[in-house]
Amino acid sequence: MNDGLPVDPVSLREEVKSKYREVASEPDGEYHFHTGRPLARRLGYDPAVVHALPDAAVESFAGVANPFSLRALEKGEKVVDAGSGAGFDCFVAAEQVGPRGRIVGVDMLEEMLEKSRRTAAAMGLENVEFREGLLEDLPIADAWADVVISNGVINLCADKARVFAEIWRVLRPGGRLQFGDIANGKPVPESAVHDIDLWTA
Amino acid sequence: MMEETGFVDVEIGPAYDTFGQARGEDKARRFDVYGYSFLARKPS
Repeated sequence: MNDGLPVDPVSLREEVKSKYREVASEPDGEYHFHTGRPLARRLGYDPAVVHALPDAAVESFAGVANPFSLRALEKGEKVVDAGSGAGFDCFVAAEQVGPRGRIVGVDMLEEMLEKSRRTAAAMGLENVEFREGLLEDLPIADAWADVVISNGVINLCADKARVFAEIWRVLRPGGRLQFGDIANGKPVPESAVHDIDLWTA
Repeated sequence: MMEETGFVDVEIGPAYDTFGQARGEDKARRFDVYGYSFLARKPS
């Protein structure tokens, strides 16, 4: 059973993995959402920062908003990206925190982790690392992070209360949560809420 | 939900037309779906 959750978390994860595995390997494919540099422009990322990134760092970007638009990161901050995908937001964060800062991206998809690690190595970023994990169980020590960022991933988790509790755990007191996500202005029918195919459609 | 967790000073930025001109635009319009940036703080 789903323990009161709208859908089975494990089944939803498999659906999400299937969709985003494609985005990692075929970034120019046809999706229901925008990707890559056109999406970064649409979401108001700093054009100079995005322009300076290699294609591999940007092409699989599939966020839904801009975690840096309400507040930029500060030099030296320690940052966790919950659901880091191919690493685009981690690379933007690395530019903001500078070489004294640290970035840990967490993702559940092997293809995304491989791609983001390859890109970080190619960019010579020694303060950016990527770990396998779930948002519901972040592989990060208590109170390690100054900031947790995320972009378009929390909405793909069935147990959002657990995700926010986990983000709370890894943030230090006084730390910030900066994330992008979607919200609907009109009610979604109950039947659709329980239809796992629609969560990633 | 963020405030239920304990976060304070929650801010929400303006809407992004995340799905405009994308293949998922029709579905997004049906439920008025937009992207938003959120900022919140864990109290000291």
